[in-house]
Amino acid sequence: MHNPVLTDNTYQKFEEQHKEFRQATALTRPEKAQKMMGQIDLLIDSPEGLDFIFQNIESLSKAGIFEGSPWADPSKLVASLVNGTLKSGHPNSTIEILSELRLLAIAKGMMEIKGTSPTDAENFIQEVIVANLEFVFNEPLEETRLVMSEHELKKVHTLFKFISEKTKLDNVKEKLVEELTLICEQRPVVTEKQRKIIALVKEKIDLDPKKDLDARLLKFQRCIYRPTINSVNKDYKKYRTLLKTLTFDQLREESIEMSRAMLSFGLVSQYHPILVIHLIEKEQKELVPLCLGLTEAGTARWREHEAFICDLILKTIHPYNAQCLYGLAKMLESGIFSREAVRSGLANMLTIKVHPEVEERILKSTKTPHEKISALQYLMGALFRVLGQPLGVGQGNNPTCQSARGISMWSQHAPAKLINMVQTAATYNDLTFRFEAKEIKSSEVGLGLVQNLDHNLDAVSVTLVPMLDKVYNEMMLRASGRGEDPHKWVNPALYGQWIQIGFASAYDYLSNAIVDYNGFISVLYAMCHPKYNGGHRLIYPNPVGIFITSAKGDMLGFHAVSLLRVDVDFKGVYRAYFLNPNNEGRQDWGQKIKPSVYGNGEIYGESSLPLHEFAARVYAFHYNNLEAADKMDNVPDLEIQKIKKLAKESWGRSYTWLETKKIW
Amino acid sequence: MAKCFALMGWSLPVIESMQKLNKPYVVVSFPDFEGYAKENNIPFVSYQFDEWSDTSNSLDLYEKLKPFEADVAVPLFEETVEWAGALNSIYRGDPRVLNRAFLFRNKAMMKRKALIGGLRVGLFEEVYNKEGVKNFMKRLNQANLQIDGEQDSWVHIKPFASAGTVGHRLLRSMQDIEEKCQESDFPCLAESHLPGTEFSCEAFIHGGKIRFLNITEYVKLGYSNFIPEGHHLHSKRDKIMKEMQKLVDLFGIEYGMIHPEWFLTENDELSFGEVACRIPGGHILELAAKAYDFDALGAFVLCHDPSLTEEELNEILPPLDARPKQFYGNVMIYPHKDVINKLEIPDELKEESYFLDHNLIPPYTNQKINSREGFGNHFGTVNFKGEDPDRMTELLLHYENVDFYH
Repeated sequence: MHNPVLTDNTYQKFEEQHKEFRQATALTRPEKAQKMMGQIDLLIDSPEGLDFIFQNIESLSKAGIFEGSPWADPSKLVASLVNGTLKSGHPNSTIEILSELRLLAIAKGMMEIKGTSPTDAENFIQEVIVANLEFVFNEPLEETRLVMSEHELKKVHTLFKFISEKTKLDNVKEKLVEELTLICEQRPVVTEKQRKIIALVKEKIDLDPKKDLDARLLKFQRCIYRPTINSVNKDYKKYRTLLKTLTFDQLREESIEMSRAMLSFGLVSQYHPILVIHLIEKEQKELVPLCLGLTEAGTARWREHEAFICDLILKTIHPYNAQCLYGLAKMLESGIFSREAVRSGLANMLTIKVHPEVEERILKSTKTPHEKISALQYLMGALFRVLGQPLGVGQGNNPTCQSARGISMWSQHAPAKLINMVQTAATYNDLTFRFEAKEIKSSEVGLGLVQNLDHNLDAVSVTLVPMLDKVYNEMMLRASGRGEDPHKWVNPALYGQWIQIGFASAYDYLSNAIVDYNGFISVLYAMCHPKYNGGHRLIYPNPVGIFITSAKGDMLGFHAVSLLRVDVDFKGVYRAYFLNPNNEGRQDWGQKIKPSVYGNGEIYGESSLPLHEFAARVYAFHYNNLEAADKMDNVPDLEIQKIKKLAKESWGRSYTWLETKKIW
Repeated sequence: MAKCFALMGWSLPVIESMQKLNKPYVVVSFPDFEGYAKENNIPFVSYQFDEWSDTSNSLDLYEKLKPFEADVAVPLFEETVEWAGALNSIYRGDPRVLNRAFLFRNKAMMKRKALIGGLRVGLFEEVYNKEGVKNFMKRLNQANLQIDGEQDSWVHIKPFASAGTVGHRLLRSMQDIEEKCQESDFPCLAESHLPGTEFSCEAFIHGGKIRFLNITEYVKLGYSNFIPEGHHLHSKRDKIMKEMQKLVDLFGIEYGMIHPEWFLTENDELSFGEVACRIPGGHILELAAKAYDFDALGAFVLCHDPSLTEEELNEILPPLDARPKQFYGNVMIYPHKDVINKLEIPDELKEESYFLDHNLIPPYTNQKINSREGFGNHFGTVNFKGEDPDRMTELLLHYENVDFYH
């Protein structure tokens, strides 16, 4: 490819500047470096230019191009920050690209830097590749497209093309598998992210089924693109035609194969609805439980409500609205259909007319709305998913953890209330709540926390969250100024009577300090630790406020999670299992505290931590105030001190600590 | 050989040159720079240049510089010209050196001196208020035999003692005077508009003789220039050299570098604009250094040293008759809009074979652009290099009007 930028004198000019830069002393180097960066910025948007800079990276590095910048020491770089830096534009993006080139050169053994081995460099690059798939495949997310200019996009894409060609993708494959596993093991309600990665892998990487990693990636692909042998090389229309030729026994096999594909990662293919609808329409309904992969209990519930559920399926499900089949299957398993109120609510939902503004939000949240599917169908589908996978509810990129936590809690413990709330909100684009004997109407109160909703959410969330968020904020306003954390009153009012009346906060508003932390932890353990609470299990999710800390343990802010249960894991460690609405699989809270999302006894959608590590980040929770006083003395001081140390050495550094005793 | 150069003003590139040449120096500048100097082992005397009192004066500074054995003072900026002049008067035992420094700092005095010496200058006058400018324009109109309805004669006003284009206003009519002149402009110098192409000279002088002469062709004042001069100006080099030596003799300049601005009319007549004796703006010495491949800043400093030997001079300066093959030019980039969000380097520039580099800085989101004073505050420079001065002129004119900021 001829590149007009790289004329012969490009090299000569670069050399001229490079010489000037090398000869500069520390006094004028920053200024010369800036000019040099300007030149590099223009060169690296073409493969030849980038390669040229790559060939010169060692001498640029030696001349001090990274000196005095955050990129100076490659061993201190953080792969997860690369994406944001690349989006921030020149000169940051330019030096970030240089930094990747330097690491590539280290990985290739072309240069050496103390403290970073070729393996370190290789690992870093692979992490960067995995965290920047949008650039590797040149399919920038919508937000990315908005913030980056064409020139910047070209630069970054050129870089990733370059480094992915020079890096063994085998190892990236391993990270892709890991990434997909981390996402899928949480069984999120929204499946766009994993579908996108799977689609990109399918399109851009050749896989060899004989290789282990490739086979694992193929398994992800298959559950979306060819869930059964019969679906190979057919679109769903041809598949429908084929189904007509199958015998009952063949359909039976097909159903088993289909449900197995779905259950492996919780992903539903477009073929699946075709099969289910075929079974219902051809009066082979007895095969539907097999097709949904139901257990005996689930099958029994199907039989009980067969007619009703068939009607729901026919009115809701479509190849372009397929994912909700997984939610529906989980609803059948959980027994939610046995509740009369739920069936009535769902039946009512089918008759509503969706408010135009809600309709707009729903269609906006649907990546590729299909003309034959109404907003109501999408909303119904999302409702199946939320009701079937309560722990898969996420907040997307919105600061609305409270709302997400509420939807998840109602979905588990008050599904009919949730359905009714969705019905009201979808019809009137409004919601009302009671707060201390007064009404709060979302349409009549001020702004919520989120002003520009990120629409990477399910249809239930886009319907409810804007209103819940406003109601929550209004409750917080009304409860503020009482000298205590307003959540004490807001949580029970927002979430409902499942929330305990007692409220413990480590932070004391009046003294602006952490007061009686020992007492606080005693109450927490007396509430949830089976060893000290009389061997009791938790019943309802407990809305817990936690400090969010960085990988270095520094205080970053506050977050809302729900403590779901405390149990002994297979290693004999007491663990806290909780819902984190941010759906993040790779969390690092510092002090080696890293919540896991699978492999430690988690149910799909749960995060977990050893209980004391979880406790070390809690600042507020609810408890039964009639019980606590009895049990808190059971908690040994040694346990408390272990937690206190972790707390004091992380977020605790941002606070004053007072040892005054409080009455709990 | 000077025992120590006192560099009057803070300039990292100059300090770097001194370090590379391994010449003894001490920097005299505002206290703000003291910390950086200490950290980087730069000999430093902190001085409040903008204060003149019993405790802040050249005799006091002279004492402070004694421990460094400073014996040559070098003015780097307009504001330090008198300070350097005063010190050099003491060092050389010649009170007139200071008077000469004043000559550079008062544009009216400078013009009067030029006029006495037989240089062609425009009509000029010291003015004290708007009325004064109007009267000046009236007399100019009369002298130009203006007929009713004809345009007024153009008048420039400039502060007596500011660098380059700071405070410079062009007044095209009586109405302009009314609208553009501020109370704070006065007193100042008013002068008639000089026709012709403008260029500057950088003459490195030692022992009262021009030892090297650079001519900088101005494409557009305040925007762009290139070095060495194009073909037409080059053909006038002998004439320019003669006028330059006249100026040097007339002003009695013995050591250092002067940077006058001239106008060349179509009839090959040279008019004197003004002259400075510090480092010129517009990155001129940077361009000269590249075009002639010499350490222009180092040479600038060394020429101030009376004891510099012939060999040293020949070593640091290019030959008087040098004529580089490559032309180096630059254009300063100013945003065209009031609010800017991003920097965009146009493809045509990237593909331009004369394009060398740029140091443009991306703006903050919604950065507001303040009105500019003089021609300061540019957002960076785009540099070009090529063999054909005509193509260079074209490019510089073109890019002055390209909007890099959106």
